[in-house]
Amino acid sequence: MASLADIVARPRRKGHATPDVVQKIALAVAALLIFAALFAPLIAPFEPLQQSLLSRLRPPIGFDRYSPWHFAGTDELGRDVLSRALFGLRLTLTLAFAGAVIGLLIGGTLGLIAGLVSGWVEDTIMALVDMQIAIPFTLVALLVLSLLGSNITVLVLVLGIAGWEQYARIVRAEVRRLSALPFIEAAWTAGAGPVYVATRHVLPNLVSPLVVQFTLALSNIVILESTLSFLGLGVQPPQPSLGSMVGLGRDYMPTAPWIVLTPAALIVLLTFSVQITGDWLRDRADVRLRER
Amino acid sequence: MIRLMLTTALAALPMAAVAQEITVGAANMAPYLDPGRDHSNVGSQFYYNSFDTLIDRDHTKLEPEWVPALATSWELVEPTVMELKLRDGVKFHNGDDMTADDVVFSLNRMMQATFPPYVVRAKDRLGNFTHAEKVDDHTVRIIAEREEPLWETLISLQQIMIIPEDYTKALTGDPDVAEDSDFEAFAMAPVGTGPYKIESFQPGERLVWTRFDDFWGEQAPLQKVNVVQIAETASRVTALKTGEADIVTNLAPDQLALVDNDPNLKTEGSATALFHVMIMNQNHPKLQDPRIRKAMSLAIDRDALNEALWFGKAVVPSTHTMVEMGALHQPDLVTFEYDPEQARALLAEAGYDGFEITYDTAPTYYTNGLLAAQAIMEMWAAAGINGKVQVKDKWSGNDPEMMARNWSNPMYFADPFGSFGVMWAPGGPSQSEGRFNTDEDYAEKWERFRFSTDVEARKAAYAELMERVKEDPAVLPLYRPFESWGMQKNVNWAPMPGHIPYVLDFRAGSISLADS
Repeated sequence: MASLADIVARPRRKGHATPDVVQKIALAVAALLIFAALFAPLIAPFEPLQQSLLSRLRPPIGFDRYSPWHFAGTDELGRDVLSRALFGLRLTLTLAFAGAVIGLLIGGTLGLIAGLVSGWVEDTIMALVDMQIAIPFTLVALLVLSLLGSNITVLVLVLGIAGWEQYARIVRAEVRRLSALPFIEAAWTAGAGPVYVATRHVLPNLVSPLVVQFTLALSNIVILESTLSFLGLGVQPPQPSLGSMVGLGRDYMPTAPWIVLTPAALIVLLTFSVQITGDWLRDRADVRLRER
Repeated sequence: MIRLMLTTALAALPMAAVAQEITVGAANMAPYLDPGRDHSNVGSQFYYNSFDTLIDRDHTKLEPEWVPALATSWELVEPTVMELKLRDGVKFHNGDDMTADDVVFSLNRMMQATFPPYVVRAKDRLGNFTHAEKVDDHTVRIIAEREEPLWETLISLQQIMIIPEDYTKALTGDPDVAEDSDFEAFAMAPVGTGPYKIESFQPGERLVWTRFDDFWGEQAPLQKVNVVQIAETASRVTALKTGEADIVTNLAPDQLALVDNDPNLKTEGSATALFHVMIMNQNHPKLQDPRIRKAMSLAIDRDALNEALWFGKAVVPSTHTMVEMGALHQPDLVTFEYDPEQARALLAEAGYDGFEITYDTAPTYYTNGLLAAQAIMEMWAAAGINGKVQVKDKWSGNDPEMMARNWSNPMYFADPFGSFGVMWAPGGPSQSEGRFNTDEDYAEKWERFRFSTDVEARKAAYAELMERVKEDPAVLPLYRPFESWGMQKNVNWAPMPGHIPYVLDFRAGSISLADS
């Protein structure tokens, strides 16, 4: 089995479309996690908010004082850690998807406009992109959330704005490259308008780089959401998200580490598997582009 | 030569045997230090080491036993006039001698306050005193408007600790006038007469005390104390374990085992003379029906909270009373209880339609505050109340949108007036924030409770006030929290029953370091 070091050191093998072992595992883990998130209400042994004050801080299965069916132990209010982690995963993934879609819509639209309309419009958009890259976004997110208060709507918007500039750069570059190709020139010559060209000829060719970028952004947004929730500015208690579980459980790290370890392990698994899936998708996308 | 070295070594021995410097890791550090304007749980930790009152009490005892401090004797020359003889040879940390003028200045800065923060503090507890005046260089008189049942209690308040007049007036502007800016400056460079002088103070970060050699009483046992703010509980425990801190404050019950299991460490704690309370907004449009507010309290199983979150170490009362209140302690009154069935019935009667009731809490300010809030939401849900926790650092008690939240009502002095009374007087802080209403009947009961010179009359009036609270609650206690301090095994220190909450008393007889 290939180790992580192998993957990092591995030269980009063009034309390598089938996943290797690590990628297969990552794909399987990602699929499993998404499945678990989708069906959390069916899988979770308990309600995520259901407290049992008399069985607080019980350890996971296999330890002394284990409380039956609480496989990953209970937290500081006697809630089931596994159930909370599954629902936390569900909420974190939902937020990440919503954020990534918003980023895609904003970034994709602006990138498309910048690519098709040159002049001051393009300059303005690309200046915004540069600004976004220059500013450490976690700080901006903290500022926005502490000013506006943390509710789910604000949080999703913040997560959406987090990565839009990457989409914008990719889309603009692709549009630029495609514009020089004969079939687009032919469309222009035949009298097609910019909207027609954009939707019929440009967008279909953007799908694969965007899918790759979407996947990579997803894991970044998971991290950002977890960071914000860890700091108490994201998802508010009692709702669990992976980050808020780690944040609220950190006082119990020496005495009841399972409260933190379960959601932390899920964050690692999730971001790692999604990231590797993204890499694999990028490899495949490269191949397609070369074959054209 | 060898002889000389030997003598030097011997002379150095007692010093070396006992380290006289300690570091305290505190959960909170005050933003300013002025005993007069402050009544926070954060500030109260610090004043007793650096300032003195005229009359003090024996803090090892639960019952008040008044002892001389800056005044050596006192008597009532009339029912409304107390005359105090001042101690000779008292020096302030800056070298000034304490005079009758300093005492009159310190008292009148509160009793005839013009600086707004003093006005607020003076009104809620010192309102009965009109002024202080100098009789001669060693005698002052304090004049009350009405006959005062709580003379010694109120004259021993932190808010009228003695500060130097000339030093304070000269801090800014005209050196002969006490301007507001002088008091602002004093709060950053405080000077008192206590056994430790404040060597340096960085607001919100750290405080360094050094022994004051010219202290009038018994010398302080420690040469130097560093108080450093360490906000996170886990970091405080770590600092204690690594030996970086000798004492840490505010350990949650869940952390006690962690410290107690370490052979080098121990914990000390007590059920602090303070209530964690739930306040409810009488004027919120949706909560105007008292039956809903009653149900919100009836649904809370305080004993379960105590068992689960405090391991049974907190104290759950049945009314707003504490054993510290001595003759005024009335544990038999029942102002609130746990009865989810009655809660359901009251909700149905009031036509509660399931609207959301918010409960605000800060994330970490009160030990177990957020945990209790979440547990209360479950208890509410079991009684059919749709509750929601709102976590925010900002104080929402003055927000008309506030429905319910946690708060604390400390015992500022050992009397029901010093606990319930300060916060819930007619025209007091709660009423002026717009979430609590009083009427003539309440005010009349209040007057009898506050000023009756007969203890039984005061008790009866207080019981009537509690009945009003029960009928139309705006505040109900949850419990007296069990607060704990962690420390190295060689530190002999424990909270004392005669202090107000959270005082870090490091005076002679209160702390010692064992040889190790």
